[in-house]
Amino acid sequence: MGQVIVDVQNLFKRYGAITAVDRVSFQVDRGEIFGILGPNGAGKTTTLEMIEGLRVPDGGTAVVDGIDVRRDPRGVRARIGVQLQEAAFFDRLTVEETLQLFGSYQRTMVAPETVIDRLQLQDKRRSWVMNLSGGQRQRLSIAVALINDPRIVFLDEPTTGLDPQARRNLWEVIASFRGEGRTVVLTTHYMEEAQRLCDRVAIMDHGRIVALDTPRTLIRTHAPRTTVALTVLEGEVGYASLPGVRHVEVANGEVVLSSTDPMQTVYALMESSRAGQIGFHQLRVEDATLEDVFLHLTGRRLRE
Amino acid sequence: MKAFVTTIIMGFRHYFRDRSSVFWGIAFPLILMALIGLAFGRSDSLTFSVGFVDQGGGPLSQGLHSGLEEVPVFRVIDETDQAQALEALRKGRRTLVIVVPPITSGQPVQVFFDQARVQDSQTALVILERFVAEANLRLSGAPQVVRIHTTGLKGQRRLRFFDFLLPGILAMTVMQTGLLGVTYVVAGYRQRLILKRILATPVHPLVFLGGLVGRYALTNLVQIAIIVAVALTVFNATIVGNPLVVAGLMIYGTFVFVGIGFAISTISRTAESANLLGSAIHFPMMFLSGTFWPREFMPEFMQPVIGSLPLTPLIEAMRAVAARGDALGPYLPGLAYLGAWGAAAFALAASRFRWE
Repeated sequence: MGQVIVDVQNLFKRYGAITAVDRVSFQVDRGEIFGILGPNGAGKTTTLEMIEGLRVPDGGTAVVDGIDVRRDPRGVRARIGVQLQEAAFFDRLTVEETLQLFGSYQRTMVAPETVIDRLQLQDKRRSWVMNLSGGQRQRLSIAVALINDPRIVFLDEPTTGLDPQARRNLWEVIASFRGEGRTVVLTTHYMEEAQRLCDRVAIMDHGRIVALDTPRTLIRTHAPRTTVALTVLEGEVGYASLPGVRHVEVANGEVVLSSTDPMQTVYALMESSRAGQIGFHQLRVEDATLEDVFLHLTGRRLRE
Repeated sequence: MKAFVTTIIMGFRHYFRDRSSVFWGIAFPLILMALIGLAFGRSDSLTFSVGFVDQGGGPLSQGLHSGLEEVPVFRVIDETDQAQALEALRKGRRTLVIVVPPITSGQPVQVFFDQARVQDSQTALVILERFVAEANLRLSGAPQVVRIHTTGLKGQRRLRFFDFLLPGILAMTVMQTGLLGVTYVVAGYRQRLILKRILATPVHPLVFLGGLVGRYALTNLVQIAIIVAVALTVFNATIVGNPLVVAGLMIYGTFVFVGIGFAISTISRTAESANLLGSAIHFPMMFLSGTFWPREFMPEFMQPVIGSLPLTPLIEAMRAVAARGDALGPYLPGLAYLGAWGAAAFALAASRFRWE
């Protein structure tokens, strides 16, 4: 561990007047699940596709498993598994045939049954791709990315458009790559996906990486406050002067407090309640999320 | 190599699983053939081409000539050379050849027909004999002024309408694959990012594109084999030429029209617009190039246009080989012209090809 397998330095891509990727640099360690989190149009896909050799960068370098992608793009592609966003398959080939076809384009190939079992597509082995559900198609897409037994897997928005159940299934599959010693680089605009799945997350906005660290550290650094929310029935206290409280929002009897010390805040609220100063119910304590980190860093929400 | 072969095999399966491609590639040409056969199939016996060689017959000759022109079913073609006229008869381009000898020779008028084309020849002869009898009746003073002597020749074979039609239909099918199939499929693959998927693998792009061309060559051969089998058994068509040469011509045509299809797909943004542009080129060419009827049926001023269409030399070579059993030699310049179209199309496609 700790060995760099993807090294990206100052990647730059411009489309006309728009800078899609603005000098992005990061390193991914072997065996890590690395996430790029950001809203649509942040430049996540362009970044990924430059590393995969599908797009030629206007500047910067990307080295994958020791190979400079600009020098030997097909050499890089032989070592990686690529799952593309919104790319279709041949409608009237079966799952198995699709894997055979894409396997024939690789330099090494595992038996299609292996990845079919891995992605739980056994029942659909002989079904035409056009008859698969969205979740099954997404799993096929990942199965195709695994057909050359790659050391590094690139997943572009792997769970977009899936229902919550299918999304959780796919998370399990992706998390299991860690145990196989594969490295995963994925993009997502789902805060929860990045937080649950990724060892480290790069937060991207307007073509730039605005923060990069483990989800926990990102939250601690950029959104250190915990939310304490309560529905007030009667009475009132000076919320702003409660211990730890940094910010107060009151709307329709719902009070939302931002606290740097949630334990002390909650304790003080309990005391006030016992003293009869305030009556409330539904006290909720919520940790900050990457959504809050994004909000803090950019002033906008992820899905705006 | 494995990638190339797998691309062809999977492409082949994919193609024949699509009912619409089976319809357009096999059923549609056969339906077209049946309909056109019904409409025009008998027209070759409704007018007869009569070659007329005047060797100095004077007033008799002129009278006979103008008299024959009065007969509605005869198309009188003036010939200067008897040998050339008889050659045209053997090739099936004349039903009868009439030779009027020099007035001084006292010989009867010679009429030649093709023994192999019994039905047409006999019908035409009967009409001719009746015409001569009437003419003689009118010249009642001098019985048997016009005497005819008929000679049967062994022609090459009888060219039936379906024999004529089949090579045209086959060439049209080859063109259709390129202009209606490739355009839609390749532009669709690009639009739906399937090409990008291929690009995301280490395979050399030319291997995949070559496999795509190979798949069209294979599917075309299968389609053509089925169409030919049905035409031979159901429509009683015949192919007199070497089947290998016919297959070779079809593969050659496939390369050219697949190239043109590729070129069109690089110009168009969507599968639908590529298909539309392909259709706009396909349909006029189908009607002009002599697919269903001889190009001579089209007006004179159109002939240079027709001659410049890439489908025309393919149809002419196919028809010569398949229907008449001619040698390929005289058609090589036309086929080279067709090849130039293919080369230009591939060059355009290569310079404009985009993966997404």
